[in-house]
Amino acid sequence: MLSRVADNLYWMSRYLERAEHTSRLIAVKLESMIEQSPGEAEISWRRVVTALSGEGFVPSEAAETFDITRALAFDPFNASSLIASLRFARDNGRQVREQISTEMWNRLNRLYLRLAPLNLASFWNDQPAHIFRETVEELHMLEGTAYSTMRHGEGWYFLELGRYIERAQLVSRLLDLHFGPASRAGSSPHHLDWVVLLRFCTAFEAYCKVYTANIRRDRIAEFLLFDAEFPHSVRFAVERLTEALAHVAIGAPAPRRAACERLAGRLKASVDFGQIDELMGGTIDIFLANISAQCEQIHDAVYAAYIGYDAETVL
Amino acid sequence: MQHALFASAEERSRLGGPVGLTADARPDRSGPYANYLLGRAYDEMFTPKGGVRPHYAELHKRVAELPADELRRRQHACEQSFLHQGITFTVYGDNQSTERIIPTDLLPRIITAAEWARLEAGLKQRIQALNLFLHDIYADGRVLKDGLVPRALIYGSRHYRREMRGLPVPHGAYVNVCGTDLVRREDGTFVVLEDNLRVPSGVSYMLANRDVVRRAFSAIFRSAGVRPIEHYPQDLLATLKSLAPFQEEVSIAVLSPGVFNSAYFEHAFLARQMGVELVEGHDLVVNDNSVYARTTSGLKRVDVIYRRIDDDFIDPLAFRADSTLGVPGVFNAYRAGNVVIANAPGTGVADDKAVYAYVPRLIRYYLSEEPILENVETFLCREHKALGHVLANLDRLVVKAVGESGGYGMLIGPHASKAERDAFAEKLKADPENYIAQPTIQLSTAPCLVDGAIEARHVDLRPFILHGEQTTIAPGALTRVALKRGSLVVNSSQGGGSKDTWVLSA
Repeated sequence: MLSRVADNLYWMSRYLERAEHTSRLIAVKLESMIEQSPGEAEISWRRVVTALSGEGFVPSEAAETFDITRALAFDPFNASSLIASLRFARDNGRQVREQISTEMWNRLNRLYLRLAPLNLASFWNDQPAHIFRETVEELHMLEGTAYSTMRHGEGWYFLELGRYIERAQLVSRLLDLHFGPASRAGSSPHHLDWVVLLRFCTAFEAYCKVYTANIRRDRIAEFLLFDAEFPHSVRFAVERLTEALAHVAIGAPAPRRAACERLAGRLKASVDFGQIDELMGGTIDIFLANISAQCEQIHDAVYAAYIGYDAETVL
Repeated sequence: MQHALFASAEERSRLGGPVGLTADARPDRSGPYANYLLGRAYDEMFTPKGGVRPHYAELHKRVAELPADELRRRQHACEQSFLHQGITFTVYGDNQSTERIIPTDLLPRIITAAEWARLEAGLKQRIQALNLFLHDIYADGRVLKDGLVPRALIYGSRHYRREMRGLPVPHGAYVNVCGTDLVRREDGTFVVLEDNLRVPSGVSYMLANRDVVRRAFSAIFRSAGVRPIEHYPQDLLATLKSLAPFQEEVSIAVLSPGVFNSAYFEHAFLARQMGVELVEGHDLVVNDNSVYARTTSGLKRVDVIYRRIDDDFIDPLAFRADSTLGVPGVFNAYRAGNVVIANAPGTGVADDKAVYAYVPRLIRYYLSEEPILENVETFLCREHKALGHVLANLDRLVVKAVGESGGYGMLIGPHASKAERDAFAEKLKADPENYIAQPTIQLSTAPCLVDGAIEARHVDLRPFILHGEQTTIAPGALTRVALKRGSLVVNSSQGGGSKDTWVLSA
């Protein structure tokens, strides 16, 4: 596979994962506001904003819910907004138009063309969460379309790699906001916040099946970090990205492959054998920061080995 | 390329001339055809007396039977389909770019089996002669020694590549993909307006139009006996493969300037349909005169490049040094015989507007045959007598700069003001070798859907010819449409659209 194509597929997938995450956080947040007091809602909004803000967007203290939602969802100049993520995903997809199936492209293209002209003000007073729910559904359908219409070859595994590196980082970041320093600095999460956290990760029902509806912070942390079978847990994501790495660039020289696989194996070991009791003693933020850092290292190693390498070195 | 018109329908009515026919002479022009105007041009659907041509009868009837809104609905469905597939070009604005589809017209243009047989034979003859001509001027130059074509015309051409001299090309096939533009004269005869021998585009629209129109008119499509064109990508693949020096595991790539090129959809489409890699210049590296693609597993050899980049940009070491689209060193790899470039560099010298005028003579010279397809009558301003005629008749001629395309650098005499014509005459006298002139041509008209009603619009025809070890022509074409009433400009860059073209099997 062309290195450029791998690069486009990988980023298309990362941006789609980011778009889905952004969409779901906004949907859950808008839905749960009804159940919260204005004060609680305010604190919980700040958490969403922190989770979704890239370098491009820092809302002012006085910003209203409407303005924040608009910036996070529809501001084309905010590089971390939902619409920007979709645009980047589509731009990457367009550059590998011959590699992805027509069904995938049409679905992605339609979704973007539908959302791009939307004006939040026009439906803000009529179930604004609805459009974000639909976007999540559309993105799930896109994932299914990819699964069933694209060859599960190297390109597919670059999509997997992008999706799960992004997911491991996004979930780690969310956990950090709920368990790390921010949660200890006076605004510690309440019962509803924990439920909302599970919903952010589309994990509420899955959690209840494992632990019953007994909402406890250590169990939530354990579930979202270490559950082996839940698709939005960090461990699941790491498992998948490790598997994806084993399937890409099969023909590359062994030393190049080894560099990537070693890093992935180390990350996998830390989530496979992690113990929640040890982390809840106060080291969880270090642990989460470590996961993020290791994901970055894997990304860099993949680029050095398969994508951005100097042609002279392989001749 | 731009087609000038003698007088548009509006102008004729302003001049008091006849517009269309009287009501009693058009029994078949009822219902959605009520506003259909017949002018001097040959009409694809109607005879001059208003009757329906037999091969259009079925379509004419079905369309007339459809509820008024149904045509509009189907047209909308076609457009949505194009938009969702991303068959668009981008218009860049200040800080927002918008994507537009190239307008597609729902009503197919129909060509009979007999007409097609003649076109096919004529196009094969023409590409054969053009390839022999290219081979000749890059080898012995026999045609120049014999004085049939002036040396200065070839060696002075901006598109002549002296780097190609003496270089053998597989099967002597310089032009592997050709898009020839034809128009119908008023008597209904197809004549060649232009050969596009460099990087002709539009074939993806031929296929995309077919895809949507077949669905919109499925019943009539089945009963009409339309010849299929869906095998074009396989034919293209076979043509490219036949150029490789060996036939096992040939590695083929489509070289595109990238996503910002207006034909990018087509590049990606063809690569996908052929199942080959779509590459950009920076994906390829040349080492030891071989070309490699940079892949995740290392470098992979490339044997045939179907390039969609102009000669000038293909190799900054050989041609334009400031090109960032090309591949440094690719031309040397080509000279060394380690990679095939299709079309070969240097084909542009033969689709020059001045060389065009010589093509009928070239056919007689190389093939000892009479040309099956005629040219549009062309005056070479480099010839003293012709120049005098052109200057005396500027108000009735279209004058074109030889090296330009896309409708640039030309004068449409009947539409220009006296001042414009005088200014152009000065340019012409200063550099007559750079110009040719042609009479204004009335392109044929075909029924098109305009705001829910059916009106006549001028069309041309661009079939695509593949030439490698063999010559193949998909039985279809891109029919380009001048969407403005009376206009003869079919270029997509100047507001033209396109429509599906049905070639009947019997």
